[in-house]
Amino acid sequence: MKRVAYYKGCLASLSAKELDTSTQALAPKVGLELEELESVTCCGAGDIHEAEPDYYLHLNARILAYAEATGAEMLLTICNVCTLNLRQANFQLRGDAGLLGRVNENLQSVGVPAYSGGIEVRHLLWEIADGPGYELLKQAAHKGLKGLKVAPFYGCQILRPSKLNGFEDPDRPWSLERIIEACGGEAIDYPAKIKCCGFPIIQAREETALGELIQPIEQAMEAGADVMVTPCPLCHLALDAWQSKLEKATGRKFGLPILHLSQLVGVAAGLEESELKFKRHVVSMKPVIEKLSV
Amino acid sequence: MQVALKIWRYDSRSGERALREYEVDAPEWVTLLDVLDIIKDRQDGTLAYRKSCRMMICGSCGMRMDGAAVLACKTRMYEIAQSGHIPVISAMGNLPIVRDLVVDMDPFWAKFKAMKPWLQPGYVEPPDGKEHLHTQQEMNVIHKESLCINCGCCVSECNAMESDPEFLGPQALAKGMRFVGDPRDQAEVERLEAYNSENGIWECTRCYFCNERCPKGVDPRDAIAKLGAESVKLGIDRDLGAKHAKWFVTSAKTTGYLRETELVPKTQGVVASIKEMKFAMSLARHGKIPPPFPPHVAADVKESRALYNLVKTQGRDGALGIVQGEHALGRIEFDEAEGAKVTDPEVRPEKPTPHAES
Repeated sequence: MKRVAYYKGCLASLSAKELDTSTQALAPKVGLELEELESVTCCGAGDIHEAEPDYYLHLNARILAYAEATGAEMLLTICNVCTLNLRQANFQLRGDAGLLGRVNENLQSVGVPAYSGGIEVRHLLWEIADGPGYELLKQAAHKGLKGLKVAPFYGCQILRPSKLNGFEDPDRPWSLERIIEACGGEAIDYPAKIKCCGFPIIQAREETALGELIQPIEQAMEAGADVMVTPCPLCHLALDAWQSKLEKATGRKFGLPILHLSQLVGVAAGLEESELKFKRHVVSMKPVIEKLSV
Repeated sequence: MQVALKIWRYDSRSGERALREYEVDAPEWVTLLDVLDIIKDRQDGTLAYRKSCRMMICGSCGMRMDGAAVLACKTRMYEIAQSGHIPVISAMGNLPIVRDLVVDMDPFWAKFKAMKPWLQPGYVEPPDGKEHLHTQQEMNVIHKESLCINCGCCVSECNAMESDPEFLGPQALAKGMRFVGDPRDQAEVERLEAYNSENGIWECTRCYFCNERCPKGVDPRDAIAKLGAESVKLGIDRDLGAKHAKWFVTSAKTTGYLRETELVPKTQGVVASIKEMKFAMSLARHGKIPPPFPPHVAADVKESRALYNLVKTQGRDGALGIVQGEHALGRIEFDEAEGAKVTDPEVRPEKPTPHAES
């Protein structure tokens, strides 16, 4: 078992609890022992970076410091936006001794332990797409997906900027496809899988956001997808919860079920409904469940 | 070596479009632009593309290779040719195609001009009557933005602009930041008011394609974040996007976690929220609207509040907050085995470029 600090972020704590429960249930099956962080806050989701960037840096330093205090070497994330925000702050702090010194002084003056720079921030996707996690995943996914046609949707901030993420080629990613295949599903290919779902501006510029959101949904369905999977709960919220708005705006019917990464693997690994919590999805998962039970 | 390309040919007058394959014999050091030159010289004089300096300064030869915007003069062909892959070359996205690889840059320049891309110094004379002296820290704020060569590679890939062509976009906004952050410019407020328009700063969807594609390291998305930070600092925060961003700050200070349920009324206002009630109820049925009371509060959230109060006294509001540690980000290099890591530019080994006598 690899002991890692676990940062679930806001959505998995609140509106996407199904992401947290399925991740917690899946973790031991893929060799991860999660040490949940208690006193951490929001990473700022890019919004605090834009409104109060110095505060953003300190909030993320605080999360990294508490992760380091657990004795773990890795902070596991389950959200694209958390991943980018934390990795960016981590690179800034680790690469600039003067900045790390100032931030640590501030952290300590409010009672937070100092951060020495010893944490690697990694998304669950990267942990199970390669290496020992992938080998365990293949064993864990014993129930399989029975050839279910799954559209991978990466979202933006786990791919770009690649110099901050760097796990895979941002234009030709392979990790989700590899996981889908390992779980016995069939990965569907479509161009918008690396594009934006529109979520960051879905409140401030809904029309522009919906113009982005329609692309993956439309293309995946045209390519014959039964279901879509994403490693990001913000993409999930846009794709799942805002799908009805898209239907209203276009007068079309989509009904494409959207899975969190941990749920997709969780289904193949035989997790219980109490852990998968499909009832928390807005778009019904019924067609998928029926296909899998045949 | 043999280099093969597939090129999307297009004629806007006839509407004819065709994917043609070309293969030429070329020296190992060639760039994509060199290959296009050879094709035009020896095989097909009708091929249209823009070029000028051939050294990554003029910004003329932006185009797409396998769907990703590149500067043709910066793209070496050796490894691609060796791999046997035949790349597809096409015109940039988000701009109308005139012919083959030539796009109409008029919409690009219209947005560029809308930023008033010139210094508006007002009446502030240099203290010694001769020159303005500035600190390195002041220069850092607009250093990357100053590198822009107006090639359009960022605009080509902008996801928000694809959905709404009116969006000012990454190039124009980065140019705007170059002037907002210039201490000699006296029109900061006027500029930020203008850039906070319907199609301004807050329409950026944070897809990071611009940062990924920029051949000069401008990082337009970061420039847009700087404009947002400067706007919030100066209280130019009426836009829904600014209110949305500020609610995250409030949430982090008060409960630690995002106060999701209040995000809609805090961003869009109460009236708009009531109109959204039906949609909200459909989400609530699936637990997507967590009850705001009792609030979900992070342990030790007082530390988060204390940090906010502390950093607000340290003078790094606005764009200054974003450029901290930026040199470290600039030093990140990739290693196939180790992934992203910070390297010291002084000791970084140069990647050998293939040389060959023709």
